[in-house]
Amino acid sequence: MAEVEFERRLERFFADAPDLPDAGAFADRVERRLNTGWTARRWLIGAAGGAGGVIGASQLIMSNLFQRAEAAGDSAKVLQAGLTQIAPRADWVSGFASAGVVVWVASALAIVAMGFALTRVIEEL
Amino acid sequence: MAGSTNLRFTSLHDVELCSHAATGERRAFGELVRRHGSAVRGLLRRMGAQAGEADDTAQDAFLIAFERITEFRGEGTFASWVKRIAARTYLKRLQKERKLGAFASDGIEDEPAAGPSDADAAIDLDGALKMLGAAERLCVSMCFGAGLSHAEAAEALNLPLGTVKSHVKRGLEKLRARLAPGGGAAVEGRRGNG
Repeated sequence: MAEVEFERRLERFFADAPDLPDAGAFADRVERRLNTGWTARRWLIGAAGGAGGVIGASQLIMSNLFQRAEAAGDSAKVLQAGLTQIAPRADWVSGFASAGVVVWVASALAIVAMGFALTRVIEEL
Repeated sequence: MAGSTNLRFTSLHDVELCSHAATGERRAFGELVRRHGSAVRGLLRRMGAQAGEADDTAQDAFLIAFERITEFRGEGTFASWVKRIAARTYLKRLQKERKLGAFASDGIEDEPAAGPSDADAAIDLDGALKMLGAAERLCVSMCFGAGLSHAEAAEALNLPLGTVKSHVKRGLEKLRARLAPGGGAAVEGRRGNG
C-alpha cells in the first residue's frame, strides 16, 4: 500500500515539471522548423504537379493526338458534304469541323486536371 | 490578424488545438508546444539528457508529434502522449550514438552521476534522480515520467523485461529512501504546466 502511494507521489513529482524560462523561444524554434518543413513540402508538391503536367502534355503530343484530331475533322467535312447532298437543309455535323479546337481545349484541361490530381494525391500522402 | 488568431488558440483546450493542428494549422500546434514544451524537456533532462541534447530531442519529438497528430485520439492527455514520443525519440538517439548498450548488462551497479553536496539541504526530484545509476534513472523516468509500462520500456530499451523491472525496483528503493518523509531530505514540490 505504501509502495503504491509512493509510486503515485512519484508520478505527481514527474508531472510537476518546472516552467523553463525559455519556453516561448523553444516553441518559436519548433514553429519555425514546422514552417520550414511546410514550405519545402509545398515546393515539392508544386514541382511534382508541374512535372506531372509536363509528362501528361508530352504523352499527348507523342501519341499524335492532334494529327488524329485533324484527320477526324477532315473526315467530318467529307461526311458533312455527303449528308448535305442527301438533306441540303440539315447541318448534321458542323460541330465536327471545329473538332481540332475542341481537342486542343480538352487536352489543356486534361493536363490541368492531371496536375491537380497529382498534387492532391501527394498532399494526401 | 495573426496575433488575434494566436490569442484565440490560447483559450482552446488541448484536444481542440490538436484538431486544428490535424488540419495543418501550425500555430495551433505552436500553442501546444508553448504549453507542454517545458514538461517534455524536463522529462528528457530527468532521463539523463544534457540541456542541449534534451532541447534537440524535444524539438524532434514535437515534429514527429505534428506529423502523427491524427493518431492522437484524446484518450489520454496530449502531454503524456508527446512525452512517450519524446522518451522513445531519446532512446533512438542513444541507440544511434551507441550509448544505450551500456545499460544492457544486468546486475551491474551503475555509478551515480552525482551526489548531493549537502545532505541536509532540501532536494527535489531532479536531485534525487541524480542519486540513481544511469539505467535506473532511465527506467524510472520512462515508467513514471513518460508513462510507459515495464514491458513497453523493455521493448524500447531492447532489454529483457526482468532487467527493466529490477532497474525500476532498485531505483524506486533509492528514491523512496531519499524522498520519503524523514528519508534524509524534504521534498520540494515544484509547480509547472504539467
